[in-house]
Amino acid sequence: MSEFDPKIIAFCCNWCSYAGADGAGVARLQMPTNFRIIRTMCSARVDPEHILRSLAKGADGVIVLGCHPADCHYIGGNYRARRRMALLRFVLEEYGFDPKRLKLEWVSASEGEKFQKTMTEFIDDIKGLGPNPIKEGA
Amino acid sequence: MSFISKLKEKFFKKVGDKIEDAAIKPEEAAAPAAAEAAPAPEADAGAAPAIVDSPVPQLVSDKALFPPELKAILPGPPPGGKIKFAHYWGAGCGGCDVSLLDIREKILTVNDMAEIVFWPIAMDGKVKDLEALDDGEITVTLFNGAVRNSENEHMLKLLRQKSTLLVSYGACAMWGGMPGLANLHNTEEIKKYVYTETPTMKAFQDTQPSPVIPQEKYQAPEGELHIPVLYDTVVAADDVVDVDYYVPGCPPQQTSIEVLLGALVGHVYNGADLPPKGTIIGASEKTLCEECPRKKENRRITKVVEPHEIDVDPDLCLMDQGILCMGPATRAGCGSPCTMGGQPCRGCYGPTGAVSEQGASMLTAVASLFPVLDNDALIDEDVIIDIMSQVKDPLGYFYQFTLAKSLIKRAVKEKGGK
Repeated sequence: MSEFDPKIIAFCCNWCSYAGADGAGVARLQMPTNFRIIRTMCSARVDPEHILRSLAKGADGVIVLGCHPADCHYIGGNYRARRRMALLRFVLEEYGFDPKRLKLEWVSASEGEKFQKTMTEFIDDIKGLGPNPIKEGA
Repeated sequence: MSFISKLKEKFFKKVGDKIEDAAIKPEEAAAPAAAEAAPAPEADAGAAPAIVDSPVPQLVSDKALFPPELKAILPGPPPGGKIKFAHYWGAGCGGCDVSLLDIREKILTVNDMAEIVFWPIAMDGKVKDLEALDDGEITVTLFNGAVRNSENEHMLKLLRQKSTLLVSYGACAMWGGMPGLANLHNTEEIKKYVYTETPTMKAFQDTQPSPVIPQEKYQAPEGELHIPVLYDTVVAADDVVDVDYYVPGCPPQQTSIEVLLGALVGHVYNGADLPPKGTIIGASEKTLCEECPRKKENRRITKVVEPHEIDVDPDLCLMDQGILCMGPATRAGCGSPCTMGGQPCRGCYGPTGAVSEQGASMLTAVASLFPVLDNDALIDEDVIIDIMSQVKDPLGYFYQFTLAKSLIKRAVKEKGGK
């Protein structure tokens, strides 16, 4: 069997993490290419429905990246987001998913290196967990 | 007969497509009507029924659009003769069947308008009588309950074939309802628990040399006996067959039933147009909160409570008082009897048209209720987890009626990496 090549959906906040990802690219930092970025206006814009739909369609992991606490462009979006993600992780656990398939991390616009590190670590974690159990025959 | 034939022309041709897929031409099927019906119960053990693509129900009939034309007593049978009516249950509790009797004297309209050909909970009727009917001969069938075993699936397909209009009636038929929560386990786990581990059954099984568990087939001296095969996954009615209308609720409330009957009476007596196919009848486009008379102060909550733990303020929003209420994520139309009675909404009218699942919608609402703390920027993730773990069994609570129609649909099992 060939090595498991995970598919990751990354939701990046427009104001911090998306710029951070951009920074990582401009700086030519090396990282795995298993993730697809979806830009959102805020980490709080990421509805639990988006994450559940990603998993239902076979994404092996979902990572939500937002501004550091106290840095939210909309003042409190990231506080809302982290409450939702905490609750959603309970729901995922009840479904039988490993809650580590959903990660929330803070990456600012200047943290290209942190973006690289976060993504590399997350992809490694997902490789350890194996394919999304919702996929048939996985 | 004019309206029935018109109705058949209008609807049955369209719905007919799916029946023809099942290799039954309406003409052929008329004689031994059980052609397709017979083999169905022998579905593979544990296999889920084949899922057909069903349109996402989006349209809604507001009460203003279809005012109940329903009177307690109608002027006798309709001009074209009584229509034929059936009501059947799949995996349900029987509450939906009873709800039709709950409309008080208006139940008489059903009798004035329709000949009841099949309704096991209320009158005697045999499946062979149903099989003897022509395709589409029943004008309207209300199907309640989810599809959980081979008998449910067989009867639903048979009723679809025999009915011009099929109404997915109640929360279980629409989204799997409470039986849908069985999707968090599999058939083997459920059978093992129910037949060997519950206290009463355990006491019985201890007296037996080996566990006695119902078998799907049994060779009795008189011949082989069968019981329906329990499926691993509970599905909704429209996952199995084409459905014309939906009536939500656990069970549907009087007001919604009246809109349904009003639309039928209007059509049968006055030739009024029926609502478009796929309509959710007797429900509104708004959320329950819009309809609920309680005063909303949009307070934040720090502690989740149950109604019995506090003195419930009769006028204030239940969420404002810390009681988790499904109102913000639930379609209105029921008249909010639960919240008016001091109990939180359980969400039986399902998700609103704007979202694809009720659970995620409720999760967002609940998570946003907890206030941002003064030191929120500095606290650890563990504190957030502590705050959120006040919500007990979020999956069971948020998806109480809609798990089988949620995005994930059933429990999964991690198989590990490498």
